[in-house]
Amino acid sequence: MKKQFKNIIWLPVYAIIAFTVQSCDDFEQFEPAGANSKADETPPMASFSYSQGQGEGEVWKDYSFANLSTSATTYLWEFEGGTTSSDVDPTFTFPGEGMFTVTLTASDALGVESVFSEIIEVVEPEEPEAIVPTILEQSFEDNSPGSEDCGDGNMDGRDCWRNSNLGGVIQITNSPTQDGSQASKYPSAGDRIAYQELTVSPNTDYKLTYYYTLKTSPVGSVTVSVLAGGGHIDLSAALATTLEDFEGTDQSSSNDYIKVDIPFNTGANNTVSILVTNQGAEARVDNFSIAAD
Amino acid sequence: MKNIIKHINKLNLLVIAIALFSCSDDFLSPPPNSVLNAATFFETEADLEAALVNMYDGIQGVNSTDSNDNHAIQVEFYLTEMRSDNTRTKSSEGEAAQFESYTIQPTNGIVDDYYRSFYNVIFRANTVLANLDIATSENRAKIEGEAKFVRAYAYFNLVRLYGDIPLITSVISTGDTDVQFTRVATSNVYDLIETDLLTAIGGLDNSSKLRGSKAAAQALLAKVYLTRGANYTEAQQLCEAVMGSGFMLQPNFKDVFYNELNSEIIFAIGYQEDSADSQNFSAEWLNAVGRTSGVNYTTADVRTVLNDLGGNRTPYSYRVDTDQPTQFQVVKYLPEEDTALGITSTVTDRTKAGNDWIVLRYADVLLMHVEAIMAGGNDTSVQAALDSFELVRLRAGLLADDDGTITKQELLDERRVELAFENHRLFDLIRFNEAQNVLSAFSTATGGSFNATDLLLPIPQREINLSLGQLTQNQGYN
Repeated sequence: MKKQFKNIIWLPVYAIIAFTVQSCDDFEQFEPAGANSKADETPPMASFSYSQGQGEGEVWKDYSFANLSTSATTYLWEFEGGTTSSDVDPTFTFPGEGMFTVTLTASDALGVESVFSEIIEVVEPEEPEAIVPTILEQSFEDNSPGSEDCGDGNMDGRDCWRNSNLGGVIQITNSPTQDGSQASKYPSAGDRIAYQELTVSPNTDYKLTYYYTLKTSPVGSVTVSVLAGGGHIDLSAALATTLEDFEGTDQSSSNDYIKVDIPFNTGANNTVSILVTNQGAEARVDNFSIAAD
Repeated sequence: MKNIIKHINKLNLLVIAIALFSCSDDFLSPPPNSVLNAATFFETEADLEAALVNMYDGIQGVNSTDSNDNHAIQVEFYLTEMRSDNTRTKSSEGEAAQFESYTIQPTNGIVDDYYRSFYNVIFRANTVLANLDIATSENRAKIEGEAKFVRAYAYFNLVRLYGDIPLITSVISTGDTDVQFTRVATSNVYDLIETDLLTAIGGLDNSSKLRGSKAAAQALLAKVYLTRGANYTEAQQLCEAVMGSGFMLQPNFKDVFYNELNSEIIFAIGYQEDSADSQNFSAEWLNAVGRTSGVNYTTADVRTVLNDLGGNRTPYSYRVDTDQPTQFQVVKYLPEEDTALGITSTVTDRTKAGNDWIVLRYADVLLMHVEAIMAGGNDTSVQAALDSFELVRLRAGLLADDDGTITKQELLDERRVELAFENHRLFDLIRFNEAQNVLSAFSTATGGSFNATDLLLPIPQREINLSLGQLTQNQGYN
C-alpha cells in the first residue's frame, strides 16, 4: 500500500515539477529590460537664455533665466557663491558687476544628465551721454584739424562749409575777426551760404553759439538757422525744416562782433544742419561752438 | 451615282479631313465663362478691387460656431488677453482654459484656427500682388500698398505669437511643401514686414478707416520698430507723422467704442450687425450668450489696476455680471443695452453683433510716441513725451504726470488701463521685457504653471502632421 501510494504521489509531483520548470521559459517575456530594450533616442539637452532686469535702482543686478532644455524632468541651477535652485525658470540677483558663470544641469528619470554653462557679463547700464558734435573749421582757420576730408581738401577754412546746391561758397576775411586770424565773409549780394551737418542725440537740448558783425550800410541782416536732418539740396525746402534760427540785424559797428546763443531741441532727429545766409549788407560770422544742455 | 460609289472612299477621306481640320482646340473644350476660377478671374481693375475687399473679409473671419471655419480676428483675444494678466475664462471650461493656466496643447483648436485664418489672409494678399499687372498706372501704387499693408499686419501678428514661421510671399500650391513647412527666423519675417509697410506708406492715403491707410501703416511700422527695439528715432518720426494727420482723441472715452469710425480710430475691422458680416466675440464675452459660458472675463489683477489708475475709463472698461455678481465682464464691445452706462442696443441677435474691432487708435499712437522717445531707457523727461502722455491722462480725467518724468512702469500701467481688453497687454509686456516677471508672479498667484517658453504659442499640431515632420515645434511643447 505504501509503495503504491508513493508511486501515485511521486508521479504527479514529478509532472508538476516538470511542467513548472518548462513553463518558466514563458516567464522570460515578463523579465525587465535586457537585450530587447531600445536606447533612449532623445536624451536630455540643457540650454537656457537670460535677460537683465530693467528699471530704476539696483534692478540691473536681477537676471531672469528662461529654461530651454528638452527631454528633461529635473533641473539644477548653480549660481555665483554656491547658490542653487531647482526651479524651471529661476531669477537670481548678482552681487554687482563682473563675469559670472551659471551652470544648468538637466536630467531625466533615467538619470542621464546634460550640462550647459554660460559666462554672463553683468554691467550696470549707463545713461547714454548726449552726443556733443564737433564743428569742423569752427573758426574758419586754415588747416583746421579734421578738415582734410572736406570739399577739395584744401583746408582753407571753408571747405567744410560748402553746399553748392544751396548757394555759393563763402569768402574768407582776415579783418576784422572775432577769434583767430580768419572769419567767414558774406558779400551783400546774399548769394553765399555756409552749411554743415552735425550728428546729435535725439530729443536733447543744445545751445549753438556764434559771433557776427554787419557793415553799417546798406540795410541788411545775417541769419543762422538750425535745420532738422541733413542732405539738404533745395534752399526753400531746407529753410522749411528750420528748428530754430536767429536773424542778426545789429549794424551799429562794422568792427565789433556780437555774440548770439541759439538754444534748440533736436526732437526726432539724429542729424541737424547749420545754415548761414545773409541779405542786403556784407556780413561776417566767426567762432561757432555747440554744447549740450 | 456610280461615280459617287466609285469615289466613296476618297469622299470619306475628304469628309474626315475637313472634320479634323475644322475643329479648333477651343471648340471641344471652351473656357468656362459661367463659372469663375482663379486662373481666369482677374481681368480688370474692378476684379482687383474685389480681391482687396476679400482680404478684409478674411480678417473679419466667419461668424459661426463650427470649429473648422476660419474665425481670424474674432478669436484673437484668446491668444492675447487671456494669456496675459487681464482676462480669463469665467468657469475654466474647455480648451479655452488652457490659455490662462499656461498649459496650451499643440492640439488646441483655437491656436490652429488663428494660424490658418491669417495664413489665408496672407494668401488673399498674395493673390492681389500676383495679379497687380492689370492695375492702371495711377492706382497701382495704392493697390500694392493696401495688399502689402494687410500682409504685413498678418505676419506681424503671426510672428509675435508663434515665433519662427513659414514665410510665403507668392501664391503657392499644395505641392510647394518646402516653402510651406520651412520655419524662417523672426528677423527675416520682420524685414519683410518693414519693407511691406514702407511700400504701403508710400502708396496709401488717409481716406479710409476700415481699409489700409497711410496713417495705419505708419502706426503699425512704429509698433514694429518698438517691438524690435531699434530705429527709435524713426518710430518717433512715424508717430509724429500720424499726430499731424488730423486724428484726435474723443473727449468721452465711451465714444471711442460706441461711435463708429470716430476721430480716434485709425484702423478698424468693420462688422455689420444681424448679417453674415457680423461677429460673435461680443456675445462670447457675456454670460452664456455665445457658445461658451463666458470668456474674456476680467481678472482681479486688472480690476485693481483699473480702479487705481483708470480714472473715468474704468466704468467703460469693466462692469459687474448681473447674472453672476462675483464675476466682471468687459464693457468696450457690448452688443446689448446697458442703461447705467448709457449704451443703447444695436442688434437683435447678440451673437451677430456689429461692433467694429479697433486695431489701431490715436491714444495708442500717443503712448507709442512716449515709448519711442524713451528709446529703451528707464524713463524720460522730454517735453514732447510729457505732452503726449498728458493728452491721454487729461482725457481720462486724471492729472498729467506729477514729477515731470515718465518711468517705464508708469507707461506700461497707462497702456494697460487705456488699452485694456483691446489685445495689446501681452505684446506690451513682451516688448517692455516684463513678461516673464509679471506673468510668473501672476501665474503663481492664480494657480497656473507659467514657464518662459509659454511666451510663444505652439505650432498647431495639424500643421506639423501635414508637414510630415518637416515643421519643428516650439520649445516647451511636445
